[in-house]
Amino acid sequence: MEVVRVEGLGKTYPGGTKALEDVSFSIQKGEIFCLLGRNGAGKTTLLRILATQLKPTLGRASVLGHDVLADPEAIRPHIAVVPQEARPQMLLSPYDHILYFCLIRGQSRTQARERTKKVMEDLGLWEHRDKLASDLSGGLRQRLIIAMAMVADPEVLFLDEPTIGLDPLGRRSVWHMLRELTRKGATILLTTHYLDEAEILADHLLIVDKGRTAFLGTVAEAKGDTGIGMRVIVEPAAGNGTAAPEVLEPQSAEEVLAIVERGLREKRKVTFKPASLEEAFIKIVGGSIEVENT
Amino acid sequence: MKSRIREALYIGLFDALPLLRDPMLLVVISLFSFLPVIFIFVFADAASAMQSLIGAIVLTFSFTGLFASQSVYFNKQWFRFQDMLVASKVSPASYAVGLSVSGLVVALPGVLVALALLLLSGPSTAIGIVLLLATSLLLWIGLVFVGFAIGATTKNARRANSIPQVLSIAMGFLPPVYYPLSRLPAIAQPFAMLIPTTHAAQLAKYYFGLIQLPASELVIGWAYLLGFAALMGFLASRRAHWVDP
Repeated sequence: MEVVRVEGLGKTYPGGTKALEDVSFSIQKGEIFCLLGRNGAGKTTLLRILATQLKPTLGRASVLGHDVLADPEAIRPHIAVVPQEARPQMLLSPYDHILYFCLIRGQSRTQARERTKKVMEDLGLWEHRDKLASDLSGGLRQRLIIAMAMVADPEVLFLDEPTIGLDPLGRRSVWHMLRELTRKGATILLTTHYLDEAEILADHLLIVDKGRTAFLGTVAEAKGDTGIGMRVIVEPAAGNGTAAPEVLEPQSAEEVLAIVERGLREKRKVTFKPASLEEAFIKIVGGSIEVENT
Repeated sequence: MKSRIREALYIGLFDALPLLRDPMLLVVISLFSFLPVIFIFVFADAASAMQSLIGAIVLTFSFTGLFASQSVYFNKQWFRFQDMLVASKVSPASYAVGLSVSGLVVALPGVLVALALLLLSGPSTAIGIVLLLATSLLLWIGLVFVGFAIGATTKNARRANSIPQVLSIAMGFLPPVYYPLSRLPAIAQPFAMLIPTTHAAQLAKYYFGLIQLPASELVIGWAYLLGFAALMGFLASRRAHWVDP
């Protein structure tokens, strides 16, 4: 089932800045869809249009079958947003934040208390419920913002760089939470600068560059399309510390075997480095950087 | 309708909660407009003290209106709660009403103390109190709109804090609100009448029998406050957006 559909979407801000041009894609139910791109590429603009916070100037976009421009009220009760650089009110506790967001979203006091406890327990915030937000670590504050978005049990969740500033464990707990959500049927669109995050999470990804689609597909397709394969690093032989390691790109299994045999014979350490999304991203977006610099 | 009122109430409470949770700060903020009254009470006569007390009530409402700019700015640009609430079934009207009344909730203790003092210090009529609150509320509505226009236009936290403070001096402490209009030199009096707080204070003082005004000035005063609220409402509607253009 198609949850998000975008056709030829464009956005020119009132000042004349063109942020998006002719972007099209769709997202299926239960997917994690990642938006990647350099700073200012148009990721946040696209996310905000889909979350009904910003009006597009060209094309069409629909969420859960409703047009974002013509019928945003039909979309809003079913979505939630974690905005970029959102932060909690420092003089309030996590419990206050989440309870009041439940109440504002129309839950009764009893429902709100139960939902607050459940969401806080799910996100590991319950033990911090009475601390002031100013006393929480950056990771806990970010988790609190995500928890505030989660109170509505949204069908579609939009997250704008949700793990920025989190430590590795914090990032992993957010990834786990997002996977749990999709398992329950939620659909997630997230922007990120962390390519390892996109590599682990994304069912599909869209790379936008200067407001245009630079790539649309799966992580495997991104790597495949750019022709980036496995790299093999052969360290210098012992006692030859000044020599640089050899970086090889074998094209067949025979070549891989030959490299391994040579490593064993010459007693050199051989390391296999699978192609990463980061390399594919740099190759996709890097082309435009080179054009920009010429 | 009931659910919209509930939304507005909880948005207002959530916005006011940091102050409500800190009673010491609440006392300071809710009594802020009343501090000059103490000096006037000590250094001037009782009639001047009464005028300043009425002026303080008018200003409490006007300051809470102006300082809605901070709620608008911080919820939109700093905490980004507005973006989170746009993506929900919350209505923009509930959000606007909620942020507007959050200041009133905080100011309420000070206003109640001042009204009690007014009732204790001399002959006050119910109609006088109603009309005092009516002028103050009309001024508050106009200044809430000013607050929304400022808060939605401001792009940095420094300006979000300084602009309403500068305006509160220009509209609160300088014009004849705490003191009688007659204390100003004749040449300055027409300029003072350009400021909405002067009109609200003049009307409120008149309804408490502290000054005399001809009927024409009463009509001009109400018309000015209504026109100011309408104009600022138009300005706010052009500046403050629920969905960004």
